[in-house]
Amino acid sequence: MSFFTDSLILGIIEAAPLVLATVGFTLIFYLSGFINVAYAETITLGAYFAIVFNSMLGLNFYLAIIPSALLSGVISVGTYLVVFRPAFKRGVGSTEMIILSVGLSFFIRYSLRLIFGSHLYALDIVSPTSFRIFGIGITNIQLTALILVAVITAGLYLFIYRTNYGEMMRGLANNEDLAMVSGINPVRVSVLIWFIAGVAGGLAGLFYGVFSFVNTLLGWRLILIIIMITIVGGIGNVRGALIASIGAGIITAAVTLITKPLYGEVILLLSFIGILRLKKVRR
Amino acid sequence: MAQFLSGYAMYTFSSIVVFVALATLLHLQFGLTGIVNFGVVGFFGLGMYSFGVFLIQYNIPYLVAMLLATVLTGVVALGLGKLILDLDSQSILVATLAIATVVEDLVITEKWLTKGVIGLGTVPFPFDLGPFSQAGYFLLALVLTVLLILYAYKLESSPYGRLLLSMQDNEPLARSLGKSTSRQKLIFFSITSGLMGLFGTLHASNIHFMVPRMLGPGVTFTVWIALILGGRKRILGGLVGTLATIGLFDFVIETFVPIPAAQSQLLPVIKLWIYGLGLMLILMYRPSGILGEKKLTNR
Amino acid sequence: MPEKKLHIKNIAKSFGGRTVVDIADLTLGTHGIEGLIGPNGAGKTTLMNLITHKLKMDHGQVVYYPNGEEMDISNRSMDEIARFGIVKTNLIIQDFESLSIRDSLLLSLSTRKYEKFYRIFSEGALLKETKAEIEEYLEYFHFENPDGHALSAGEKKLLDIIRCLVLKPKFLLMDEPTAGLPEDQTIKVMDLMKKKTKEEDMSILIVEHDLDLIWNVSEIVYFMAEGEILLKGTPEEIRKDRTVAVKYMGVSHV
Repeated sequence: MSFFTDSLILGIIEAAPLVLATVGFTLIFYLSGFINVAYAETITLGAYFAIVFNSMLGLNFYLAIIPSALLSGVISVGTYLVVFRPAFKRGVGSTEMIILSVGLSFFIRYSLRLIFGSHLYALDIVSPTSFRIFGIGITNIQLTALILVAVITAGLYLFIYRTNYGEMMRGLANNEDLAMVSGINPVRVSVLIWFIAGVAGGLAGLFYGVFSFVNTLLGWRLILIIIMITIVGGIGNVRGALIASIGAGIITAAVTLITKPLYGEVILLLSFIGILRLKKVRR
Repeated sequence: MAQFLSGYAMYTFSSIVVFVALATLLHLQFGLTGIVNFGVVGFFGLGMYSFGVFLIQYNIPYLVAMLLATVLTGVVALGLGKLILDLDSQSILVATLAIATVVEDLVITEKWLTKGVIGLGTVPFPFDLGPFSQAGYFLLALVLTVLLILYAYKLESSPYGRLLLSMQDNEPLARSLGKSTSRQKLIFFSITSGLMGLFGTLHASNIHFMVPRMLGPGVTFTVWIALILGGRKRILGGLVGTLATIGLFDFVIETFVPIPAAQSQLLPVIKLWIYGLGLMLILMYRPSGILGEKKLTNR
Repeated sequence: MPEKKLHIKNIAKSFGGRTVVDIADLTLGTHGIEGLIGPNGAGKTTLMNLITHKLKMDHGQVVYYPNGEEMDISNRSMDEIARFGIVKTNLIIQDFESLSIRDSLLLSLSTRKYEKFYRIFSEGALLKETKAEIEEYLEYFHFENPDGHALSAGEKKLLDIIRCLVLKPKFLLMDEPTAGLPEDQTIKVMDLMKKKTKEEDMSILIVEHDLDLIWNVSEIVYFMAEGEILLKGTPEEIRKDRTVAVKYMGVSHV
């Protein structure tokens, strides 16, 4: 009994940043139709921005969240306007787009390496206060992460299904020409979505940076799992991303409790291949 | 002379030759048949490590171990292929990337087999020629790679090559003409991936000592950029691209460009940074690579 | 008169709630050339795709009778069915981007024995084996540049047809084969079809909107509308039928 509740709670706590990252990722995937591997770097950048504002410039952690998240959003928009949109216009196919995004990912990651070096950074946080919920320790930061996740996920869900912009995004994703004819400005809507996704990714990176150390591989390590969760949960499906992320978090937590953590990744990845087969994803 | 033949230069040439082979195999998979294999290092590494394990942990004779490792890699590719080859390109990309990650993870976790992060060694050269062993190995690798390239040449002007090309162009049309495309894709993928494993065993006998870190995505990425740069649809695309990337960085710049010691740590970082930038630029502005598109051959 | 080739029983296909094909019983291949006509959306192409298994039927059975044997092909794959001798030309132009006209034909003519990953020296043998046949077709239809790509839509259509013909199918399904072809090529195609059905053991089912052509070449005509085969008869009978006139041709016939 204890094992299950432990896994459940630990899983949800650990899944919080993953949910943020996946929700952002699934939006871009849905809108633009390809897997943006460079999204990993949006996550990493969130963590590094936090390092700059928090550890280097001395800002309080909670205050540092705001500029870090916003800047991540800006960079995300930047990649869209400078790299992806021009590539679309040049007729780069969706398979080549993924390869392109891998190139961008390496480019950003190694830029960060050149700037920050390869050693680990830690965020400067005042000794966290711990609570105990169902026997598991949870810090106030993890609690903040959970609350943010809940708020953002709910907000995004409402945004996509209840607002005009959300409707425009869905229209744009389904048929760009038709959407344009109906008066939707593709660039404006796309910029908004990429910004939101960037913010979500940056926040995810930030919280991952809290739970462990910050280095340039932070996002890259996660991207495969994020892709998997997105596909399992349904591309563009916020609720699906939420459920699948929590599922992945729980599985990882459960495996970590019993045996080596890497086995968690192996199990997730192998089941991913199985799920791909079962779903026969067509896009 | 003896020093040159056993020194760094020869060692690097040997590595380059193996990468040329990998890039050529990727050309056969992606450029010819349209399979987006992002798990190159998975098959390469599986061959490399299983060879090491068979040889060192189980004392299996050298050639037998090489053969077993190659076959094992081919079988794994077959299994994976059955699951994913009739999915769309994005799924194949992600699934092959996933399998490569699984291979890397398992090499780390199964310490009892692979010695984990400590590393596995020592794999000797295939033959002992004293100070000329490195040169001898280089020749062996070179011969095998040249054979591979010759095979690719003949393949692409044969009925089978035409079939693979047609499958990439328009698979439903090929099927409507009675071609068993699923089966052929599977067979060809298994064989070319198995060969990646073979070159993995060769590489093991060059580097002598292997660590799990070698199985990271860097290898796959390097092979991809080499092929895209050289020209994915051209048989020599792998050769040209590899020389222009690894050849340039790991040999020319390392050997001839004087870099102060303080900066030398940065070179691998800058290299991958340039690869990333280069990949983006090529895909946007010259997707057919240095060698460009193939012209229709006349019969 | 050739014996029946295909027996289609109780076949149906729906897309998103709309029934596109619903046929209780249909026997094809009893005559050399059979015509299939009907308004747009009648389900003609879908029916053909169900037979060749490019589309999966919701339920039903397709039985094939090559050389007097009986073979249930309902669950066979698209490429298997083509290998069994049931081939369909394409309504929308399809081609291989990287292959020249000659290459396309070589592809079609190359058999399993040539297509092994280790048979890399067999091109010569294939060329020798197929030279006469390819030259015959190229000359008959006069392509502008056989070593290049098919240039016009008409040439692509022709190439599509020839690729199917060289497979020597027992049952050929043609989906509007003459759409986009100039008059002289249309005549050549139809003459060739008539010749082949007489000389070889081939039956053809041809879908066409060019009704004069249908009346001209078909021995039997089927009229299909709203997913069902409503009528079957000789060209004269179908031509005069009121239902056809109303459902297909509007008020009066062209």
